[in-house]
Amino acid sequence: MCLEYCGCRFNLRVAPNQTGHYQKPMLRIILNNKSAFWALLCLPALLILQRYASGELIAMDMLHPTGEWSARFMIAAMALSPLLSLLGPRPWLIWLIQRRRALGVAAFVYAVLHLIFYIIDMGNLDDILAEFLALGIWTGWAAMLLFVPVAMTSNDASMRALKAGWKRLQRLVYPAAVLVLIHWIFIHNNLAPALLHFIPLLLLVAARFLRHRRLILKGA
Amino acid sequence: MRLLTSLSLAALATIACASVPASATGVITCKAGPVSGWKSEKALTEKLTKEGWTVRKSKVDGGCYEVYGTTPEGDRVEAYFHPVTLEKLYVARRGEVLFRKKGY
Repeated sequence: MCLEYCGCRFNLRVAPNQTGHYQKPMLRIILNNKSAFWALLCLPALLILQRYASGELIAMDMLHPTGEWSARFMIAAMALSPLLSLLGPRPWLIWLIQRRRALGVAAFVYAVLHLIFYIIDMGNLDDILAEFLALGIWTGWAAMLLFVPVAMTSNDASMRALKAGWKRLQRLVYPAAVLVLIHWIFIHNNLAPALLHFIPLLLLVAARFLRHRRLILKGA
Repeated sequence: MRLLTSLSLAALATIACASVPASATGVITCKAGPVSGWKSEKALTEKLTKEGWTVRKSKVDGGCYEVYGTTPEGDRVEAYFHPVTLEKLYVARRGEVLFRKKGY
């Protein structure tokens, strides 16, 4: 569905400069630059890694922010196509959909950081295994396991090679999201922050599903 | 449009409900009186270190001192101590309670 709109760009007004040549405004150049979007996604990591490097935060403190940003980017990536089917092709939405892969890969990179700091914090295999079966822990490992093939195939070559299977494979993100939600609730002993992030996504997915069903019923 | 309105209302309600701050995790609560009567966190860390613990981090939770660290037996745990007596009240790793003092 997105492909039809992929040529779309933010059309900020272009004004001629004094010599009469048209110049792209700075904002437009930045908005249309994919590297700038990558830099934006890296920003939270850089800020917390810098605090870790300075000794202000220890490995344990890194678990929460890396995990939360990973979930945020995953939810953002997952929310785009329900939003598209509900709102139609809005420019800002198209702009984000063109960057969905970056959001998904960023979610994976933050999850890897999360895992690395978990291992640093635990410090040894015995302690990691000792708590492996806790509900809040194995769900995190399982989500990570599902994320690996999804992230590894987030490139054009895999899309071409897997054809129709690619979409099916990418849908592993749905069970992964459920695992992430359980992981978050049970690691925290607290429902609120996890639900705050997941309920909007849940509502969007449900709304798309209901709308889709209504369209089918109407058509029949 | 009606769908969108109800959707955004539901989202707002969620945010409102979820913003209620959760101060204590509720695992253990100590009714230890005013903070002026408490021993310092530093005193607790020193005591535990002497006993063979490694303390990674400590903070106040539920009116108790909560410590993240490694026990003398080598288990990576989260533990609670009474802020006045520095008595051990609760020791757990994720998914398993290793020690819980009676009455807590």
